[in-house]
Amino acid sequence: MSSGTVVAGHAFRQIRMSASIVAVVFAGTIAATASSYSTTFPTEESRQQVAQLASGDRGLAILFGPTTAIGTVGGYTVYKCFVFLAVIGSLWALLATTRLLRGEEDAGRWQLVLAGAIRPSRATAVTIAALGAAIGVIFVVTAFGVALVGRSRSIGFGIGESLLCGMSLIVLPAVFVGVAAVTSQIGGTRRMATTIAMAVFVGSYVVRMIGDSSGTLQWMLWTTPFGWTELVQPLTMNDPWPIGIGFVVAIALAALATVGAKHRDVGDGLLATSDVKQLRRFGLQSSFRFSLRLELPVVVAWCGGAAAVAVVYGIISKMTVTSVPASLNNVLDRFAVQGTFANQFFGVAFLLVAAVVALIPAGQLGAASAEETSGRLEHLLSRSTTRAGWFVGRLVICACAIVAAAVVSGVGAWFGASTQGVPVSFGSLLGAGLNVVPTALVALGIGAVVFAFAPRSAATIVYVVVIWSVLLDLLSSLVTGAAWLDRVSLFAPMALAPAQSIHASTLLITGAIGIALCMFGTLLFARRDLANR
Amino acid sequence: MTATIRTEKLTKRYGDSYALNALDLTVEAGEVFGYLGPNGAGKSTTIALLLGLMRPTSGTASVFGLDPWSDGSAIHRRLAYVPSEANLWPALTAAEVLEFLGRLHGEVDEPYRHQLIERFFLTPNKKIRALSHGNRQKILLIAALASRADLLLFDEPTTGLDPLMEQVFRACVREACDRGQTVLLSSHILSEVEAVCDRVAMLHEGRIIESGRVDALRSLSSVHLRVEVDGAVPDISALAGVSKVTVDRQVIECDVVGPMDAVLAVMAPVGIRRITTHEPSLEEVFVSSYGEGSALDGKGL
Repeated sequence: MSSGTVVAGHAFRQIRMSASIVAVVFAGTIAATASSYSTTFPTEESRQQVAQLASGDRGLAILFGPTTAIGTVGGYTVYKCFVFLAVIGSLWALLATTRLLRGEEDAGRWQLVLAGAIRPSRATAVTIAALGAAIGVIFVVTAFGVALVGRSRSIGFGIGESLLCGMSLIVLPAVFVGVAAVTSQIGGTRRMATTIAMAVFVGSYVVRMIGDSSGTLQWMLWTTPFGWTELVQPLTMNDPWPIGIGFVVAIALAALATVGAKHRDVGDGLLATSDVKQLRRFGLQSSFRFSLRLELPVVVAWCGGAAAVAVVYGIISKMTVTSVPASLNNVLDRFAVQGTFANQFFGVAFLLVAAVVALIPAGQLGAASAEETSGRLEHLLSRSTTRAGWFVGRLVICACAIVAAAVVSGVGAWFGASTQGVPVSFGSLLGAGLNVVPTALVALGIGAVVFAFAPRSAATIVYVVVIWSVLLDLLSSLVTGAAWLDRVSLFAPMALAPAQSIHASTLLITGAIGIALCMFGTLLFARRDLANR
Repeated sequence: MTATIRTEKLTKRYGDSYALNALDLTVEAGEVFGYLGPNGAGKSTTIALLLGLMRPTSGTASVFGLDPWSDGSAIHRRLAYVPSEANLWPALTAAEVLEFLGRLHGEVDEPYRHQLIERFFLTPNKKIRALSHGNRQKILLIAALASRADLLLFDEPTTGLDPLMEQVFRACVREACDRGQTVLLSSHILSEVEAVCDRVAMLHEGRIIESGRVDALRSLSSVHLRVEVDGAVPDISALAGVSKVTVDRQVIECDVVGPMDAVLAVMAPVGIRRITTHEPSLEEVFVSSYGEGSALDGKGL
């Protein structure tokens, strides 16, 4: 067996489980959505009713995905699943790639691989091939799931369009494997590689939203990988050409990454940073300040991302207001939102902002876990820092990051809206931003309790809870008869401000639950052995 | 002398497996104590329990008379710890790590730290990610030694250091001892332990199998004896404490444990032409305790 095969096999083993989960989520979500639609809207008449409500509406397209063929099973399924599957697939690809191509190097294991009979460029190429194989698994399972559910007469997906649907959904993971492979050569650490790739991801998504906001801007969809997936219009128009663009770009990026690996030193990035610098005392005074120093760049990036998304929503709110069909109000009514259309739009938009803010704890708990499992925490705990002190410090920093992201989201949305002259008050959007804080604190609390038992799983659990909750919230509000799902969502107690009035008591209770969970997690953490032992 | 470290029946168990099994250990104030054992013997577990990073399954441990789990902060103010793996923050410089660890500890002898940086040839303004393993280890050694803590806990501290730096480390430990600091040195580099330690304990599968002064431990092991005699070689194989007897014409070689009176009494009448003995090094004691053919071989305790 050649060295390349061994390296590829090892890389594949590291990601096969997560790829399988993504594959099952892809296939399951599409199958469940298609089935629920065909059951909920069994007649052509009922489907046309839905189509009249939202078909071609820009506002919904910006928020959730293309609505052009919402009156068909395929069109509705793509509309319902597009945003979430695209985001999940892209993030998985991005994180898996930086883990294999940069995380292994940070840990020193990549150097062991390269000590064998394999060159860096070939090792990079075969690792990318392993990622490609994992994407292949996602394709096979997704296409099979779509074809299987499509055999139902009420759904009727053909084999060809099932395959195309699977292909359209793996375009984004393939492109983001390429993006992250390149950033893994550019950045000197996994963190830097992931941050740069995340910036590309957010930028691509924002361009997609702008492209969907107006007919005159639709050409922008050709400039973003999200657009390529969307333009395929699988299960309806079935246009394969955008997929080709996606795969060509993915292959080009993979080739670029391979060349990059050939031209850089192992352990270093193409983006040269000096290994020598003068003493900077900021954050070295205590373990709390030190955690702040370590996490500040990440917190700033999250806040910047949340603010950028909110500004875009604010700007887009003008476009939705000017072209709103009266029937769209009925669709938004399914979320039980009220008030002016702008308020209703922001009510739903801030649900997505809440998801972004509620994911902050995932990153922070992941960083805390890395401190513990790497053994670095021992240096602190064998000195004057207590376990509870360190952990509470981390939680406080995360809580502050949540509040900061919430505030900048509110301010950003108001700023974006005010530049377009949309009549929404600063207070209402700031309130809508702050409204997400208690829910995000609950996510933090859940993560803190999991951290106390299994630090390596804390970040994953928060990701799963938040993403699943958003999915449930949308499913319950858009599918008739599925309202009960809302009750098990993390966002269930959260009012969709500014469209729904905020109840102070609900906020206080939700926030208190989050804080209580954090305290419970701290107590448990203070009583267990360190995880690296 | 008062005990700086004392453990009684200290046990750490994971399911059915014992990482530490009823450990009784005493380290007196001001002594340099060597803690020996093969990989997985329980050395690092002992140190983690003494630091309060883990809770014992049963038994007790005390450091400065305090419980490491409940009084960790008070204990940590008086000790410094160096782990075997120098996992540090890659984006920080060596100087920043030293500054941070110093502030966390609370007490730093700044002039001594500068002196240590020079003695260990450390480049302070280099980022951790650009440093070798040995250079990262130096940072932790400097941080610990510069704290002038009452107790220094070293868990295989010279991993990755070159021989020259190992000599510097040994000199620093001797200086610490001269200042009255207590040192627990966990290691399997026997020459290092032999060079700096007053007493040693040998650990095997979570239990101490030997402990005492280095000299005393040596005496427990056999001495190799080579005698060249004038007359007929006497039969000494039946004598107590004598083993591995070989005879080559007028030369007899054997291992002797304990007093040599009986052996010499049998040899003397024949006429001893030349006699040489070889004292076991700590390494040989270690190998005879843990190695192939040892009393523990295949049995454990």
